[in-house]
Amino acid sequence: MSGALALREPIMGSVQAVGHVPGTRSVVDPDDAEIGRRFAAGEEQALAWAYEQWAGQVHGMAVRAFGPGPDAEDVTQQVFVAAWTGRARYRPDDSPLPAWLVGICRHKIADAWAKRDKQRREAEAAMTEAQARPGGPVTAGVDAAATDRVLLLDELDHLGQPQRGIIELAFFEDLTHAQIAERTGLPLGTIKSHIRRTLERLRTRLEVDGAALHA
Amino acid sequence: MQHCTPEQLALAALRETLPANEDAHLASCGSCRAEVTALRRAPELLAVPHLAAPVDDVPPPPQVWQAIAAATGVTATPADHSPVRAAPATPAADPGGTVVPFRSRRRPVLLTAAAVVAGAVVGAGAVTAVQSTGEDGDSVTSVALDLLPEASGTADVVVRGDGSRVLQVDLDAPALEDAYYEVWVIDRSVQGMLPLGVVTPGTQTVELPDGLDLSEYPLVDVSVEPLDGDPTHSGVSVARGDLDA
Repeated sequence: MSGALALREPIMGSVQAVGHVPGTRSVVDPDDAEIGRRFAAGEEQALAWAYEQWAGQVHGMAVRAFGPGPDAEDVTQQVFVAAWTGRARYRPDDSPLPAWLVGICRHKIADAWAKRDKQRREAEAAMTEAQARPGGPVTAGVDAAATDRVLLLDELDHLGQPQRGIIELAFFEDLTHAQIAERTGLPLGTIKSHIRRTLERLRTRLEVDGAALHA
Repeated sequence: MQHCTPEQLALAALRETLPANEDAHLASCGSCRAEVTALRRAPELLAVPHLAAPVDDVPPPPQVWQAIAAATGVTATPADHSPVRAAPATPAADPGGTVVPFRSRRRPVLLTAAAVVAGAVVGAGAVTAVQSTGEDGDSVTSVALDLLPEASGTADVVVRGDGSRVLQVDLDAPALEDAYYEVWVIDRSVQGMLPLGVVTPGTQTVELPDGLDLSEYPLVDVSVEPLDGDPTHSGVSVARGDLDA
């Protein structure tokens, strides 16, 4: 299908590769698509290659969310372990491996926020009013909406292409529908109707599952 | 009057600019606005700087690969992480270029990248500016401040009767210890920035210097500044809005 094909390359183009120190790359130098195929096939060397290529990107996101240190390192580790153990779910023809890793990284960040939010609420519940310190340090994303973020990221996983690529460009690269049309080569009308259907789908997910969770 | 199409409402939920007639209808139609509000929740939760596309690479320290290898049982090693040279830890790379709340001060030069990150996410989309007339007849430009979930607010440019201007900042953000909030106006290239003063959660006004061209400095930014004697922007922004949006 031409829509999915048209979308794939621009998304790959939007994901930056890790810069290499000359001479440190493996003797065999497969391209990104080849790493993706071998990763999906379960070749152990492909995990090492993927790490070489994209650990910097993934860790950059983790550090942006949690600052440098053990929390960010945990997230980066979890992303690669989850990607490897879940490699059967990776479809090389659907998205480049770095985009898939970045998607997993968003999940791990949102999961960590949700976990912290839960701990924070439990801690608050355990504290007396006098001990509670309103206005103490806060961390981005650790709030009552943390579980809704997890839900929404899960719903994104269930979108097919090109819907998923389109909404990711809107959400995570802040492109307008006209810019997305330009980037993907898909007609404006197609972009608009995909955006509408995806936002409605996400709203429904929030209304159904979000409400149940908060009840 | 004819309602906006579902497609236009979805674009409005992404804070895209609608054609003038649709925009006018939206402003006056409660049911269309309610639809936009309902559709907006997902983008508001996900289109946040911390989940945006990766911008800056940070090489993880060697123990990260070691943990992955241990968890997966994979014996292959990345070229940069051969076991023989695993011991000397790579110096922790400066995360740089990111808007991380309540972290230590970064070099001011990195603010450029920081603001570009935030701009890319918040950008022209996530703020609303309206031209309206204030209660006492002053002209007002209002902008919503929005960057991180825990801080929000509005900034209004109020022109007094004598032509002087103030920025009225209404900030909803947590109280800080050993740090304070400062409001800035910043240019589009995020090179030029003017500190306008200390602000606190709540409503206050700060003076806008005569002759300040706000079209040159259209970004209103609220930063967290540690009490460290360094007058430059910390690079840690919690709220930002675009007066031109």
